[in-house]
Amino acid sequence: MSTQPSLRSQRHWKTTGLLVPGLLLLSAAPAWADRLEQHFKVAAHPVVTIHNPNGTITVRAWTKSDVMVVAKRATGQVAVDAEQNGNRIDILTRQISDTASPDDLRTDFEISVPEDTELQIHNDSGGVNVSNVLGDMNVDTIAAGVDLEDAAGYLTVKTVSGSFQCVRCAGRLEVTSISGNFRLIDLRSYYVRAQTSEGNILFNGAFLPNATYVLKNYSGVIEVRFSPGDSFDLSATSLKGKVNNEAKLIPSPHHHFLPKFGNALFGALNSGRAKVDVNSFDGTINILKRD
Amino acid sequence: MSTSSCNEFLNQLEAWMEGERPSGAQAHVRDCTSCRGLVGDLDAVRQTARVSLGAEVEPPARLWISLRAQLEQEGLIRHGQVGWTEKLRGWFGGVFDAVPRPALAGAYLVALVAVSFALTGPVKRHINDNRWISGTQDSTGPLSARLDTAMHDSITSYANSDPVVTASLHDNLAIVDNYIALCEKSVREEPENEIARDYLYDAYEQKADLLAQMTERGDDGR
Repeated sequence: MSTQPSLRSQRHWKTTGLLVPGLLLLSAAPAWADRLEQHFKVAAHPVVTIHNPNGTITVRAWTKSDVMVVAKRATGQVAVDAEQNGNRIDILTRQISDTASPDDLRTDFEISVPEDTELQIHNDSGGVNVSNVLGDMNVDTIAAGVDLEDAAGYLTVKTVSGSFQCVRCAGRLEVTSISGNFRLIDLRSYYVRAQTSEGNILFNGAFLPNATYVLKNYSGVIEVRFSPGDSFDLSATSLKGKVNNEAKLIPSPHHHFLPKFGNALFGALNSGRAKVDVNSFDGTINILKRD
Repeated sequence: MSTSSCNEFLNQLEAWMEGERPSGAQAHVRDCTSCRGLVGDLDAVRQTARVSLGAEVEPPARLWISLRAQLEQEGLIRHGQVGWTEKLRGWFGGVFDAVPRPALAGAYLVALVAVSFALTGPVKRHINDNRWISGTQDSTGPLSARLDTAMHDSITSYANSDPVVTASLHDNLAIVDNYIALCEKSVREEPENEIARDYLYDAYEQKADLLAQMTERGDDGR
């Protein structure tokens, strides 16, 4: 991807709207093309919203004070609107033909933003990939998977069946799904709440002092990886399933009795500085040493 | 935390939600995790409704009648008492005055499940453990029936053309229904099992949320 604020077009379409503030409608172009590019000048902490029902959305941070939007449409039966209001960029794809098939409506985006950008992404099917963006983020999908790398801020992710992966994320993370699997790798978050019904959850991250990690599913496997030097207070309960543990836990002052129902494990590893709460209805909980 | 304190706070709930925070109520919320949770849930419902919704519709009266009947049945309020549920109705009414029709059903359901969850958690335990145990099963019935009705409406009106999205929504609706059945079975067998009850309400909330998404996507897909 270019790191220069350039204006390019391929095939039949060329924009003249470089850095023009206010309303910019890509769909107003006289003819469609499969690649549309637009740039917007923004101030600190811009907000970018993306509503793209079908297609992949890739967002990367760069060092410029611009937002660059590159849209690749499958056909001309879908329009891409990009509108700037102050420090907010709203990107929207919409169907312009009643007879279009879902494949005709597919639009892939590559978007470059300043790293302090706040993102709001809505994508039903396709996929969402975000890297190095440190602002708050809200991602809502149906079947699309969500991959975040080196993200921070307040991250809220919601899918129906899409998987979720977060690598080296920090800040606060709340993710919910019904059948999506979660992989939380090398996290440095002070608050994590991850809930999926049928999916698996892998947590392999740092246990920060005074941080809270809540992992919950109905069925499937929840796996928490730890190192002997980690410090956390663990509460793990599976109502109908098993709890397997490799941690040498000591009695915790926070848990005085075992619950009446389910298989439960309570205790602290080292001084128990982080709080880890793992719950499953009939799934398996594994508390395992890191390889 | 004494029951009377909680009841006193509930009587002041409307004022609290409108921003009046007497020092006694503040102290109670600070000390009582149940009421703090209730206030947090109601704040979240209000916030969600304000953020995601927009125009003019009065909530159907049957919702409030049903909610009130449910609360009476569970012993949380007495018949004929003009209590905080009426205030809650007015308060939610203010919020839902701004709800656009397409989003209405789902938003109501999500709110209703959240309120039901909040009520069955903090309040019932304080008032009467025995009634709470016996009422757990009863309280889920109307909610389940309402969700079934909403599901029928959502599926009937659903018109999204993307087969991937359609399959995902239907498959996951079946998953949630299966979990509801499993949780209901657990609650029937062990009505005092709070974990199963929490999972059941989580499942109801997921179903309401899913139906709201179907309504929204169906509307978008037309």
